[in-house]
Amino acid sequence: MEFPTLRIGKFIPKYPIIQGGMAVRVSTAPLAGAVANAGGIGVIGATGMEEDELRSEIREARRISPTGIIGINIMYAAREFAKIVHTAIEEKIDMIFTGAGFSREIFAWGKESNTPIVSIVSYAKAAKMAEKLGAAAVVAEGTEAGGHLGTDRSIKEILPEIKAAVKIPVIAAGGIVDGKGIADMIRMGADGVQMATRFVLSVECTVADAFKKHYLNSTSDDVVEILSPVGLPGRALKNSLVNRILNKQAPEPENCQACLKHCSQSFCIMDALVNSRDGDINNGLVFCGQNVHQIKDILPVSVIFDRLITDLANA
Amino acid sequence: MATFDKVKAIIVDQLGVEESEVAMEASFVDDLGADSLDIVELVMALEEEFGLEIPDEEAEKIRTVGDAVKFIQDRQ
Repeated sequence: MEFPTLRIGKFIPKYPIIQGGMAVRVSTAPLAGAVANAGGIGVIGATGMEEDELRSEIREARRISPTGIIGINIMYAAREFAKIVHTAIEEKIDMIFTGAGFSREIFAWGKESNTPIVSIVSYAKAAKMAEKLGAAAVVAEGTEAGGHLGTDRSIKEILPEIKAAVKIPVIAAGGIVDGKGIADMIRMGADGVQMATRFVLSVECTVADAFKKHYLNSTSDDVVEILSPVGLPGRALKNSLVNRILNKQAPEPENCQACLKHCSQSFCIMDALVNSRDGDINNGLVFCGQNVHQIKDILPVSVIFDRLITDLANA
Repeated sequence: MATFDKVKAIIVDQLGVEESEVAMEASFVDDLGADSLDIVELVMALEEEFGLEIPDEEAEKIRTVGDAVKFIQDRQ
C-alpha cells in the first residue's frame, strides 16, 4: 500500500504521519525535530509550558530540523490557551493542533497569520463546525487514543462518519502503533494518521526512563480510564496514583496554579503529569494509548519511520 | 422579558430541550445537557439573532441561561 498525500495549508509532509502532541513536556523539541527530519510532522505538546519555554522549544525544534514541519498542540481547556497560541504564531510555528474544548477565535488568529489550524475532534458535528470556521484539517480521534478523550467510540466507527461530513483532510488517531494500523486507517479513507504513544518509546523522547519502562512493562489489562479534573475521561496506565484516583482517594491539589479554565480539583493533573514525566511514577499519571502494550522496543525515530514505511509497503 | 423569550426559543431550537426546562438559573452543561460544541453553536446563534460579537473569553463565562440573557441585555 502507498501513503496518501496529506496537505495541511501549504504544507505537504513526505509521509502523512503526525506525531501527536503530548503534554506535559512529553513531546518536546528533540522528538518533534526528529519526526520532522524523518519526513513526518513533529508536534510539541505546549499545554503546561510557559511562554519563554515554548519559544525556546520551538527554536530548538527548528534548529534540529530547519526544513521539517513543526507544530504545537494546545488544549483549549488550558487557562493560557490564547497566550500559547499567540506565542507560537510569533515564533512562526508551521501549524497548530487544538482540542479539549472548542475555540472560535483561534481560526481568526490562524487566518491573520496564515497559520493552519487543525482541530482534534471525535464526532462529525465537531468536524463540520471546524471546517466551517476555517480548520485546515481535522484529527479524528477515537477512544483508543491516550490522554484526554472526546468519545467512547472506536476510531473505526467515527472515521467514516467524519470523513463523510467534511471536505478537508481527515487524520485518523487512536491506537495506531504500526504500519498495519496505518494501512487499516488509509483503507477506511484517512488522509493521514496521528500517532503519539509509539513515539514515547523513542530514543529522542525526553521523558524519564522510568516512564518508558512503565510503558514497556504494560499489559492490555493495565490500560484504564480515569476522570481527569479537566472534566474529560483520560486513558492512562495503572499505577499507585491511578488506583488512588479510581478509589476517590487521590491527594488533594496543593499549590494550585490555576492552569485550567475549569478544574474539578479532584487531584492536581499538572503535578501528576510532571511527576510521571520526571520519573516519579508512583505519584504520576502516565497517559497512554490503548495499544501501548503492543510496543516492545525503544527505537530512534528514524528507525520507527523506516519500519512504518516498510510495513505499510507490505500491507 | 422579550430578550428572555428570544433566548429561550434559540436554546430550545439549538439544544432540543423543552421550553419548561429553560429557566434563568438552568446551567447549559449540567441541566440542559449541552457539550462544548453545543455551546459554540448556541453562542453563534445568539450572535446572529442579536447582532453581537461574543469573544471566546466572554462565551466561557456564559454558564447559565441567566448569564446569556444578562450578557445580551447589558449590550442592548
